Amino acid sequence: MEQELPPSLKAKKFILWLFVVSSTIMFGGFTSFYIVFAASKGKGHGLVLPDVFMYSTAVLVLSSICLFFAAKAVRNQNVQTQKIFLSATLVLGLVFAWLQIDAWSALYQTGATLVNNNAAISLIYIVSGMHLLHIVAGLCFIAISLFGAFSNVPAQKAVYRIEIASIFWHFIDILWIYLYVFLLLNS
Amino acid sequence: MSTITLHDTHNNGHHDDHDHGHHEQSFITKYVFSQDHKMIAKQFLITGIVMAVIAMGLSILFRIQLAWPDKSFPILETFLGKWAEGGRIKPDFYLALVTIHGTIMVFFVLTAGLSGTFSNLLIPLQLGVRDMASPFMNMLSYWFFFTACIIMMSSFFIQTGPASAGWTIYPPLSALPKAIPGSGLGMTLWLASMVLFVVSQLMGGINYVSTVLNMRTKGMDLWKMPLTIWAFFLTAILGVLSFPVLVAGVVLLIFDRSFGTSFYLSDIVMGSQVLPNEGGSPILWEHLFWFLGHPEVYIVIMPALGISSEVISVNSRKPIFGYHAMVYSLIGITVLSFIVWGHHMFVTGMNPLLGGVFMITTLIIAVPSAVKTFNYLATLWRGNIRFTPAMLCAIGMVSFFISGGLTGIFLGNASLDINLHDTYFVVAHFHLVMGSAAIFGMLAGVYHWYPKMFGTMMNAKLGYLHFWVTFICAYLVFFPLHFLGLDGVPRRYYAFTEFEFMQKWVTVNIFVTWSAIVAALAQVAFLFNFFYSIFFGKKATQNPWESNTLEWTTPVEHIHGNWPGEIPTVHRWPYDYSKPGAEQDFIPQTVPYSETMLSNMPHDFEGNAESERIQREWDAKNAPEKADVHFH
Ligand code: HEM
Ligand SMILES: [Cu+2]
Repeated sequence: MEQELPPSLKAKKFILWLFVVSSTIMFGGFTSFYIVFAASKGKGHGLVLPDVFMYSTAVLVLSSICLFFAAKAVRNQNVQTQKIFLSATLVLGLVFAWLQIDAWSALYQTGATLVNNNAAISLIYIVSGMHLLHIVAGLCFIAISLFGAFSNVPAQKAVYRIEIASIFWHFIDILWIYLYVFLLLNS
Repeated sequence: MSTITLHDTHNNGHHDDHDHGHHEQSFITKYVFSQDHKMIAKQFLITGIVMAVIAMGLSILFRIQLAWPDKSFPILETFLGKWAEGGRIKPDFYLALVTIHGTIMVFFVLTAGLSGTFSNLLIPLQLGVRDMASPFMNMLSYWFFFTACIIMMSSFFIQTGPASAGWTIYPPLSALPKAIPGSGLGMTLWLASMVLFVVSQLMGGINYVSTVLNMRTKGMDLWKMPLTIWAFFLTAILGVLSFPVLVAGVVLLIFDRSFGTSFYLSDIVMGSQVLPNEGGSPILWEHLFWFLGHPEVYIVIMPALGISSEVISVNSRKPIFGYHAMVYSLIGITVLSFIVWGHHMFVTGMNPLLGGVFMITTLIIAVPSAVKTFNYLATLWRGNIRFTPAMLCAIGMVSFFISGGLTGIFLGNASLDINLHDTYFVVAHFHLVMGSAAIFGMLAGVYHWYPKMFGTMMNAKLGYLHFWVTFICAYLVFFPLHFLGLDGVPRRYYAFTEFEFMQKWVTVNIFVTWSAIVAALAQVAFLFNFFYSIFFGKKATQNPWESNTLEWTTPVEHIHGNWPGEIPTVHRWPYDYSKPGAEQDFIPQTVPYSETMLSNMPHDFEGNAESERIQREWDAKNAPEKADVHFH
């Protein structure tokens, strides 16, 4: 059953899209910095990225898939399935955050520290850190949705909340894949 | 929506889908944490005016230093204490003054004060919307801005003084807390303030864009929007697309300052100490900064352009000349402004080929700017002009836009810029084209929409006095600076007497400073007029300027939700002034074509055959001479 959102909620959803755009541009700023820096110095970060980044990427993709099923459950008004998948998303999101921090410590141990005379290496910390801030915000959206599932909010509101959470979460998922691939390609 | 609606349903006051305006509000929710766009607009305006007065005061201080570098003014010491020991402004403080003056004027007055006021006021009112897409975010936007202002001002009350690296805060001065006094806590406060400011602008801008795209009233398609709205809309898009890049740059700068990274730093010796930072480059900051910084100057000017379009058309009693061309040139400026930032960096050792590319894009941007200028002049041409204070300010805006824009063409040529960069020529250029033009656009807006904001009229005589003195003095202040620049006098130098080749310009500086002081005094007329009229001004009528746009169909008394009854439907574009055959010299957007049969033109129907047929039959019966002219 598809639910049409009223115009005011549509406009609010649009606000989120615009936020997605501006956030993308911020990361575009970081990666442009990287490209110009690397081009002028003739060197990138020159590291083999820790494997943990691979696992974290997988976890994040999995969380997106869970969220997709949760959204489907909301549209079918299947509260039970919704709760399960939303919780799974939340847990996977937390695992992702933990793995990212793990990856930092792996980097740190190989000597690739944040404070570094190669700004390209510092930038790995910056982009993953800024991305992690987005993850925190995304987890809040998901928590709100989950909270709604437990407190039986009206169907329309539930749809709205999960749509907001989905747009944002899938966005940060894709964003991370972009950043990861970018860092892999421009070593 | 250009059909002839013969039985029109445009009867206000039938029923009300929202029933706004009847619930009581407390003082706090009405005046402080208001979510009503009209109140938020006034908050932005008054904060903007206060900040403008402060920034103007700062400029008078450093102008005094420039005019009389060797004289002592004991009164300065009374007010500024150790920053003006012996009655002379210290070099460090001079730099702080210049920096904070620029920052406040560009960001707090001409970005937040201008867009914040008029986008907030006019987007809902001119589009027939009850409020913004997210009134709550709109409120937050103001309070983030307010907090940013407080933090920026607080840097005057700390030991080491405000940031001093110029409004563009180039590293290393901004990146090394020990570089100069202003690089310390003052710079930290500057960054904190600007982060809040950017958040505020993003929340505001995103809201404006969403409102314009999603919430227009019935009949208000994009091509029926007033040019003000087009300008605010594109300005908001520019902000949403460019401010995030500044955030990226500032994040890296904060890490350089506080954590010891080397994004912008390399090979630095401070005193006898060699810093460990290596590999970074301040030029990377310049790229990130100017990628925002150049669009930012258009964020400042485009609302002023939009306001002028509206004011000039209304007060020339003529349709704006080239409405579509006006929109397309705004779009052109928006797009082009993202690919010209390199013109601020011609002398950074840029590859000449790349410099050539930036030179070409820069010169192309003069084309849409010129289109707009000619359209203003063509609108004025043989108009039935009413010289209201708003109209004078709008014409003043066009004048400054021309005289300042012309020097942009000089600067845009990379080879000329080698001589002119970082001289007073640049200062003259942007104070005319951005500073003065945008301020006059803003003043035009204030004079024009004051009755809408406060329900009273400003005094016109004081308005004329204010306009003429400010207009003349602005030219007297900024025009002579071109000659200093051509002679190679660099900007931001503390004492002209210290340099042989600059000494001859001290007399000019004295003249400029006196002009600036007179201009500042003229603002008293404005401030008095503004605040006095809120309480004691003549009561405004509903449509004092006989204007077509929707905001003048709302009651003088503000209500939350804007229209007491149904939201009006829009039937025509906003510029039907002095239309032949019409009863009056203006036809509001809410009047359907069925009520103006005598003045309708074939192109009004945008190719709708049915409406054209009805019109043709009517003309044949009632106005045969018109049918002859138009329908052959
Ligand atoms: C005809 C169009 C224009 C051209 C070709 C142009 C060109 C330039 C160039 C090449 C510079 C760099 C000069 C230098 O630092 O050596 C410059 C500086 C500047 N322009 Fe323009 N400009 C134009 C219009 C505008 C407009 C419309 C505004 C603002 C509303 C503006 C605001 C500024 C500002 C603020 C600076 C100086 C920034 C600084 O260094 O502090 N310009 N312009
Ligand atoms: Cu520029």
